[in-house]
Amino acid sequence: MSSSQPILALRKATKKYAGVPAIQDVDFELLAGEVHAIVGENGAGKSTLTKVMAGVVNLTSGEMLIEGRAVNARTPTEARELGIAMVFQETSLIPTMTVAQNLYLGQEKFFNRLRGIYIAAQQFMQSLQFDVDPTAVVSKLGAAQKQMVEIARAVLHNAKVIIFDEPTASLTPEEKKYFFDLIASLKRRGVSVIFISHALEEALQVSDRITVLRDGRHVVTDQTRNFDRARIVQAMVGRDLSQTLYGQRKTSVRSQGRRVLSVQNLRMAAVVKNNSLSVFAGQVTGVFGLVGSGRTETFKVVAGVAKRDFMHGGEVLLNGKPVRYFVPAAAVRDGIAYVTEERKLEGFFETKSIADNVYMGLLAKLRNRLSLVSKTDAAAVGERWIKRLNIRAIGTDVKAIELSGGNQQKVVIAKSLVQEPELIIFDEPTRGVDVGAISEIHQLINRLADEGKAVVVISSYLPEVMSLSDRILVQRMGKVVEEFSALDATEEKIMYAAIH
Amino acid sequence: MIAIRQWTERVLGRGNAAITVPVLDGALKSNRLIEDAEVVAEFDAPEDLASDGHSLLLADGARVLRVDGAGAHEVERSFDRTISALACLPGGGIAVALGGNEVRVVGGPHDGRRYDAAGGRRLNAVNALVCTSSGRLLATDGSQTQPPERWKHDLMELGRTGRLVEFDLSDGSTRERAAELAYAFGAAPIGDDVVWVCESWRHRVVQIGGKFSGRAVVDALPGYPSRIAPAQGGGWWLTCFTLRTQLVEFVLREPAFRKRMLKEIDPRFWIAPALTSGNTYLEPMQGAHLKTMGVVKPWAPPRSYGLVIRLDEQGLIRYSLHSRFDGKHHGVVAAAELDDWLYLLCKGPRRLLRLSVAHARASLAAA
Repeated sequence: MSSSQPILALRKATKKYAGVPAIQDVDFELLAGEVHAIVGENGAGKSTLTKVMAGVVNLTSGEMLIEGRAVNARTPTEARELGIAMVFQETSLIPTMTVAQNLYLGQEKFFNRLRGIYIAAQQFMQSLQFDVDPTAVVSKLGAAQKQMVEIARAVLHNAKVIIFDEPTASLTPEEKKYFFDLIASLKRRGVSVIFISHALEEALQVSDRITVLRDGRHVVTDQTRNFDRARIVQAMVGRDLSQTLYGQRKTSVRSQGRRVLSVQNLRMAAVVKNNSLSVFAGQVTGVFGLVGSGRTETFKVVAGVAKRDFMHGGEVLLNGKPVRYFVPAAAVRDGIAYVTEERKLEGFFETKSIADNVYMGLLAKLRNRLSLVSKTDAAAVGERWIKRLNIRAIGTDVKAIELSGGNQQKVVIAKSLVQEPELIIFDEPTRGVDVGAISEIHQLINRLADEGKAVVVISSYLPEVMSLSDRILVQRMGKVVEEFSALDATEEKIMYAAIH
Repeated sequence: MIAIRQWTERVLGRGNAAITVPVLDGALKSNRLIEDAEVVAEFDAPEDLASDGHSLLLADGARVLRVDGAGAHEVERSFDRTISALACLPGGGIAVALGGNEVRVVGGPHDGRRYDAAGGRRLNAVNALVCTSSGRLLATDGSQTQPPERWKHDLMELGRTGRLVEFDLSDGSTRERAAELAYAFGAAPIGDDVVWVCESWRHRVVQIGGKFSGRAVVDALPGYPSRIAPAQGGGWWLTCFTLRTQLVEFVLREPAFRKRMLKEIDPRFWIAPALTSGNTYLEPMQGAHLKTMGVVKPWAPPRSYGLVIRLDEQGLIRYSLHSRFDGKHHGVVAAAELDDWLYLLCKGPRRLLRLSVAHARASLAAA
């Protein structure tokens, strides 16, 4: 049973990254002993909000209060001292250490008696009714047991607030059930729980109150009993499109050309499960899904960036011919370009010039490894693509790191397009890109489809998917579950398919 | 070397042993247009449809019926054997295939012509007839080893003995245009010398004649293609009598299992494509042939299915009509377009259906 006293509150909380607000003027209250679910689309600001509470990032403006007292948690350690612990999607346990060693990590004395630590850990775990062997090495534990250790560590540090970021994403159904029991037991102990989830059923089932965020702003907070799925979805996506870049609704779609790509029963570990889809020439195929739905992984397999299951991994057919790439260069030679979502990590060489980056894209296409690299050619190619994509730079020798996010993305795109691909996969093409560049990138994508190329756009932003795509594939739990014509699609329908 | 590769593929589930089927997406996205089509009439043993541009003819057992849109019909011709294919001839008259091994012309300037062989080999399983603009008659002879009604046997034996044959009605000569086809079933004359032929067991439509002879026009179909009919305004209606499933694909790669199944099991209960299903509990159950809360999942992979594909002149798929697994209008083997109505012959429930093409297009555009 929760009390009406907020144990944690945020007032006008704003966090900006490079001037772009991830959350803005968010007011949030967590009551003592309540389970509070935070839901929203990808990029709605859920993670940023909770990271602020956990001291992982600091507010640009606004304040945080604990039991009515203004506090400033600048680091996770400071937040933990204030009684706030966060359990991340990827656990922060050290896999080579035992459960007990992980529990007491950071509390070691000058002399430690391992047996004493094990006994203390055993007693503590039993008090929480967690069935985990304290002498077990963490790497040998299942996902649910790892989470139990994380929770135990939080409780051991006297956490009054425990924040879970997508806690059930990696759990099996049985483990999920066990996890919900754990939440209930934490609640009984008076611990407040914040719970981020894309699975609305879980939010509706477990929480006392739900907060919906959209585009970094607070939309609504209410008792869970006052919500149903439809109301949550409406609150999650109900933005006024006329006020945005994506205000124009599609009135016509391109007709499909020949089938360029056919993915049949593709499997990749637990992420892509028996996935089948087609991509056609002369169309933009939008792919939407929540984080963890296997969209990126599916197309990384297509582009040779990732590998499908070694046995019974399904088939990928390019123009009707089965292909299996072990390295992306082979896919590039066959006419597949993958524009990565991680442009800084995988997209370009940041200390190289624009011309060098673009030219390296061209070299990847060349079959002859002995081709000579010509600086003159590189400069000419760079010049051509700077003009073609309107990259704003003072010259071809400007280093990629010195460009804005939008122009960096254009370099990544140029590096792919210089290969003259037949199939172009854009993964989050406008993430972290300014509005002007978004418009130009969208025009480019449309132009490619008009030229008869097969274009795939993977995006977490629904308005983008809807404004660009001729057909929209929705992925959930590792496979395509629904297909919409862009004329038929609405944000509610797509979101419903993505989470239902 | 080949044996090692095959063994490796079987172990790893790759190459020929990757049991996968193309997905129904894009223009093949499923709908209920065939299921919701108007039932014109039911027949005893319907086999094929033909149109002379003014009226509709239907082969039913050993009779050719003239059918109107309201379902009323009269017997046009009767024969002594079952009709396996039917075509209207441009100069008047009709051509029929009887029992699969004889082609006969009735009426018109070539009345009385009979063929029981072509290209030096006897006809065996003629399942489609079509006339070219120059007046020659084309026939697909599905198999050299099995008669038309034993098509399932041909599939399970991985038959590759289909032929496309041509009859010159003016001089009576015959010619074999293509052989070793994986069950030839349906043809479309594209030009004087070019013909598209359906190869059911290879799930494709292949071009015979012309510069690109042997090239697949439509490839990797998710179903088993059958007869093709011209569409008004250009293009074609391609019927598929059922869909491919992973289970059947798996069985087709297991020779020992197939051999025993052919020997010991009643063909009605084989794990094989069917024109109708759900009639008895003895039928093989498929992985997704499941009831959830008392409702058969409509997206489940079917044993039988209804599918008609609209192709444009280049063979690109424009849209498709479906009767899904939970429907009844399965096993569509023939189509004919007449006065903006598309008539479909569902061999499964033995029904003639019709639907408005304009309405179908409008409903797909709105969907």
